[in-house]
Amino acid sequence: MKKKKWEHSIWIVGMTVASLIMMIPIIMMFSTSFKTMEEIKSPVFHLLPEHFSLVNYQNAMSNGNWLIYFRNSICITGTAVVFSLLFNSIAGYAFARLKFRGSRIMFILLMVGLMMPPQVTMLPTFLILAKFPLMGGNNLLGAGGTGLVNTCAGLVIPLISGSYGVFMCKQFYENFPRSLDEAAEIDGAGKWRTYFMIYLPNSKAILATLGLLKAVAVWNDYMWPLVMTNSESMKTVQLALTMFKTESGVQWNQMMAAAVLAALPMFVLFLCAQKYFIQGIVTSGLK
Amino acid sequence: MNQKNIAGKRKSKSDKCAYAMIFPAYFTFTVFILIPIFVVFYYSITNFNMYSKPELAGLKNYINLFGDGDFIISIKNTLFYTILTLFPQLALGLLVAIMLYRKSRLLPLFRTAFYIPNVMSMVCISMVWLWIYDPTFGVLNLILKFFGCAAEQWLQDTKMAMPCIILMSIWKSCGYSMVIFLSGLTSIPDSLYEAASLDGAGPIKKFYYITWPMLRPTTFFLLVTGIVNSFSVFEQVNIMTGGGPLKTTTTIVHQIYRRGFLEFKMGYASAMSVMLLAFSILVTAFVFKYGSQGQDVDVS
Repeated sequence: MKKKKWEHSIWIVGMTVASLIMMIPIIMMFSTSFKTMEEIKSPVFHLLPEHFSLVNYQNAMSNGNWLIYFRNSICITGTAVVFSLLFNSIAGYAFARLKFRGSRIMFILLMVGLMMPPQVTMLPTFLILAKFPLMGGNNLLGAGGTGLVNTCAGLVIPLISGSYGVFMCKQFYENFPRSLDEAAEIDGAGKWRTYFMIYLPNSKAILATLGLLKAVAVWNDYMWPLVMTNSESMKTVQLALTMFKTESGVQWNQMMAAAVLAALPMFVLFLCAQKYFIQGIVTSGLK
Repeated sequence: MNQKNIAGKRKSKSDKCAYAMIFPAYFTFTVFILIPIFVVFYYSITNFNMYSKPELAGLKNYINLFGDGDFIISIKNTLFYTILTLFPQLALGLLVAIMLYRKSRLLPLFRTAFYIPNVMSMVCISMVWLWIYDPTFGVLNLILKFFGCAAEQWLQDTKMAMPCIILMSIWKSCGYSMVIFLSGLTSIPDSLYEAASLDGAGPIKKFYYITWPMLRPTTFFLLVTGIVNSFSVFEQVNIMTGGGPLKTTTTIVHQIYRRGFLEFKMGYASAMSVMLLAFSILVTAFVFKYGSQGQDVDVS
């Protein structure tokens, strides 16, 4: 018994050291964001800043219109999460529980989206959105204007569908007891009612997992906004962050301050939803 | 039960509302993923450039691709990146998962420490590591100087740039593999380990005969998704090095971005996209063929 306890302390020490090594870049991101440029340039390295100051945050935020960038990112992330959760879970329910012609082949086709790098279809997707009929000055045939380029809709719509989400929801709903459906049927509930009254309220774990994954993916996305937007008013937080990388004289402290602010929302979200998240991964059979 | 498969009977039992239920998800999938696959094939045989109407050009784009030095280099770089990122990341993830697979109140803390880089954006992480790798003020060189070693150029060095990007990517994604492996480990019944203990098996034997075979589906899943992810590496390259120095870090998707969205050679970039799709399918099929062998380990 004594040996076990000893072993456990070694484990704790070992894992603490490993975790700290893992966290070094993040700790440094935080500490640098409080430092002055003189301290960064000095040859002596301190892990913690000598004088804490929030002035870097002020300077970073006055470099560009960050209120707009944050508004854009929050707007895009929020819409994409809400719609993708609703659409994917209802489709997952249909594939898991309902019988309909072509369901097998349609599901297999949907899985194509899992096996393919999303960048393969980036070019045509961009062109489809640029030629979207009756939008952004386009006529019925999709010519003349810029379509959905440089709009929130253009950024969000392609992110709403997700083979991954439908797949995970299907797996999750297949583990539900069949007796639930039978009970609902005896009570005279239709399929829509069954989904909204029984399935949806019981899928907190999977929705939290998928919601978190989607939020992280959309908030952190860099390539799609880079391709899809070119105006200052449609910039997202991630695009704005790259402005700090200049050819010479990079203000590292301001850059780190902006990086902290860009990362913070996802840190908070992850820490809040962590319990559901791990549970969701285990129960949805994602392995 | 088999009777339900008879067409007539199935039709009468069919739920019509299912089509309405899958419509929103399936519609966006069709318009933004399925149709674009065909469109990209079509554009790849045209000389489309955004401004004029596309004209059929046959296989000219593909022939040009194989004479394009940048593209050949980008394929090499992408493969190099995939192999050197994927395997260490999986090994590290598995190691940490096994270390963390025990009961402790500190577990969520350690798990968070390893997973947190994964919820940060690639842009954020690139910014932090740009500073770490900075030749004059970077931490890495400060540490090297402290130990009396010569300073390195890191991202400006043609030999070091790619390994630097690879190291950063392993750091970011090993936490993801860890969480998935951890969920795989929890599904292995304890009775197997107890039986092995009774037979006198040590930890190494237990790993080799129980853990590894039982984790096969998990490893397989991570391998397939990891390949697809690594093949599409772009963000860290575009932000940190812009493909340089001397094109030593340019990747396939970086080339697609440059040709398609900066030079507007949409037809040519489409041909590259088709090649990317072909590589992904080829490697995934290869993994499916050889990776899923012996997947049905009979343990019951």
